[in-house]
Amino acid sequence: MQNITLKSKYDGRISVEAEIITPDNFSGKDAKEIGEMDLFMGNKTVKLKDIFEVSVEGSSENPEDTEIIIKGNTDRIKRIGEGMTSGKIVIEGDVDMHCGAMMRGGKIIVKGDADSWAGREMSGGELLIEGDAKNYIGGAYRGETYGMTGGKITVKGNVGAYLGEKMKDGEIVVEGDADMISGMEMLGGKIIIKGDAIMPGGEMKGGTVIVMGEVTDRMPTFKMDGMEIIEGIEFNRYTGDLSVRRAKGVLYMKG
Amino acid sequence: MSELLIKNGIVYDPLNDICGEKKDIFVRDGKIVEEVKKPEILDVNGLLVLPGGVEGHAHLSGSKVNAGRLMRPEDGRRGLRRKTAITMPESGYSVINVYGEGYRYARMGYTTMVEAAMPILTAIHTHEELRDIPILDKLSMTLFGFNWFVMDYIRKGEMDKLAAYVAWALKISKGYGIKIVNPSGGENWKWGKNVSSIDEPNISFGVSAREILSSLMEVNEILDLPHPIHVHCNRLGQPGNYDIAIDTMKISSGFETKREREPLHVTHIMFSSYGGEKWKDFESKTDEVTKEVNSNKNASIDLGQLMFGDTTTMTADGALEFALCKLTGSKWSNSDTEMETGGGITPQIYSPSMPINAIQWAIGLESALLVKNPYQVWLTTDHPNGAPFTTYPEVISLLMSKDRRKKEIERVNKVVQKRAILSSLDREYGWNEIATITRASQAKAYQLNDKGHIGVGADADIAVFNINPEEVDPSKDYEEVERAFSATKYTIKGGEIVVRDGEIVKVFPGKTLWTNAEFDGYYELIEDDLKDWFSKYYTVSLSNYGVSDVYLTNPEVIKTNPKIGGRIEVPAE
Ligand SMILES: [Zn+2]
Repeated sequence: MQNITLKSKYDGRISVEAEIITPDNFSGKDAKEIGEMDLFMGNKTVKLKDIFEVSVEGSSENPEDTEIIIKGNTDRIKRIGEGMTSGKIVIEGDVDMHCGAMMRGGKIIVKGDADSWAGREMSGGELLIEGDAKNYIGGAYRGETYGMTGGKITVKGNVGAYLGEKMKDGEIVVEGDADMISGMEMLGGKIIIKGDAIMPGGEMKGGTVIVMGEVTDRMPTFKMDGMEIIEGIEFNRYTGDLSVRRAKGVLYMKG
Repeated sequence: MSELLIKNGIVYDPLNDICGEKKDIFVRDGKIVEEVKKPEILDVNGLLVLPGGVEGHAHLSGSKVNAGRLMRPEDGRRGLRRKTAITMPESGYSVINVYGEGYRYARMGYTTMVEAAMPILTAIHTHEELRDIPILDKLSMTLFGFNWFVMDYIRKGEMDKLAAYVAWALKISKGYGIKIVNPSGGENWKWGKNVSSIDEPNISFGVSAREILSSLMEVNEILDLPHPIHVHCNRLGQPGNYDIAIDTMKISSGFETKREREPLHVTHIMFSSYGGEKWKDFESKTDEVTKEVNSNKNASIDLGQLMFGDTTTMTADGALEFALCKLTGSKWSNSDTEMETGGGITPQIYSPSMPINAIQWAIGLESALLVKNPYQVWLTTDHPNGAPFTTYPEVISLLMSKDRRKKEIERVNKVVQKRAILSSLDREYGWNEIATITRASQAKAYQLNDKGHIGVGADADIAVFNINPEEVDPSKDYEEVERAFSATKYTIKGGEIVVRDGEIVKVFPGKTLWTNAEFDGYYELIEDDLKDWFSKYYTVSLSNYGVSDVYLTNPEVIKTNPKIGGRIEVPAE
């Protein structure tokens, strides 16, 4: 088992691109080697040790046995855990955009809030956000065909707009409320919103969205086709979004 | 004075009848010379040496290409390459940023490019991007196929005015020659329709593709333009369109030209050699189409080879792009360039398991293998429509190796063995033929006398490949061939080494070539018509129209000898 602690010294406002921070990249390396890795800050290259104090306990060649704990101010640190395949990252504060983007395995826990695009194009593993999260969580890169294709995202707080945009598979659970159009252009997979939602399912073609709270501004382009009991609660079942050809999305709402 | 001696290479230079000779090449001040005194010596013992490559048809610059980039940020993130001390960053796979376009061609030994479709109205945008494409010399083809002035003069039978308009439009757009896309049909697309044959008169002008093609071919000759009329046929990309390609080529048969090149070029033939009535019975008609090419000295083709993978299609043929996006359900963009042209864009994923794509892939290769005279063929993928130009090394290896084709045929949809003829073709291209279809044919077709060869007096544009043509059997070692053509040992542009061991080592802007075919009184002939329609219909004024020299890097004007000037009498006011 290898435990790596990164303590942020950074309080600047220019974002830092930190896709290098993954168990895959860190496993088997000592504090010095990790500190010498490059990060982008704006258009400059900086060393990881310029941004973080690095300490390492134990050693493992296997990313699966590698855990990274990130402490301190990280709200301008982007892309943490991008593309990781295994192991674990725990972020004690807030994170900037693209946390866990293209993640394929392992687990990320964000104890604070996450900015937009967390879990973008994620295909496996688990992303747990204990605070709130912004827009396009589990969504697609701009212009891309698919968003999230696997794995699980849980947000304990509220989420912004376009949750699970173009999502193809996997699962997203939001314990709070969701802003505009969760499941936008969704193709598959499952989104559960325990709180309220606004206009869910816009242009969805497949997959399932369940809204357990109140829904504001329902899309008029869904057709009700039955009732179902989920976890003891009675839901109306809708198919849509019928503004899209051959749409087979399923949307559950109360009433 | 900078001098270079390239020693002991195995040279293939088809235009000078040099076919695999071990030979030294001397360079002074950017030109090939007979001897040098104190040169820098590159000993390339036994390596393949070719003239710099000439890209004859690709979409690299301008409003349509840039709309493709904007539409496809997801393509932009592929092919990222960081900047270096001398190069700018690269991005994109099928819609590449301008810097990447220059570097990638140079790495493959190409030193000249043609942008295949430039609307006059947005020519400034084309040249603004060309200015930023490094290293390469650049030409652009101006679009005329369904331009209102062109159709109006043809309708009225005013050939002198048509010639004057073309000369003026080339000058004002800084274009090199006449490009024609979906002649006559492009106008109908503005009403959501198209034409189904080359003889169908179009809506509102009542002119047919045949009239547009034959009139512009005539004008091309009157103006003594260096390049043939460059034609994207009607019903392109639709099943059963092969007869249109044949009819189009036949227009040129018997046509007399003073220039030493064909009077008509049919571009990306792969998209125009389709049999069947619907996609269901879609099949290759390459045999019929190439029969016409082989019997008609007056027409040349380029392949428009399709390679499997993800790409972006873009053309002035808006109707085609709409049909494609209906097939795929992919995102789509359409534009109408006022009175001049139009365009559309949609991404495509060509899959080897898709019957249509597998047959299309076979058709491009068949065209190259069935045309007997390699000077009538250019290697293209109609970048990015059939595939990005970076797939050329793979296409070359397929043309050179029947084994490789056989292996590929086994991998793609079985339908290819019934509805295409590729598996029955034994021909394998040799080094000299590859040199022809990637360099010499284009140089001849564009009448670029200093390009596409390395005889004394030519531009010192040279590509040295890391492969020994005397030791490698391309038929068996096709992977070696692909590797060698992917990145040169040296690319030399205008006497300067720009690529060494596959890396860009020097960057500078190339030349911009355009054709000036003006003749006495040409502007006065059309002045009133221009002023009338510009004030009535255009969104820009005549004085704000066109490209001034400040947009061009190292401009070089090709002055022609129009056979019209003196005899025109301009009526007095
Ligand atoms: Zn083209």
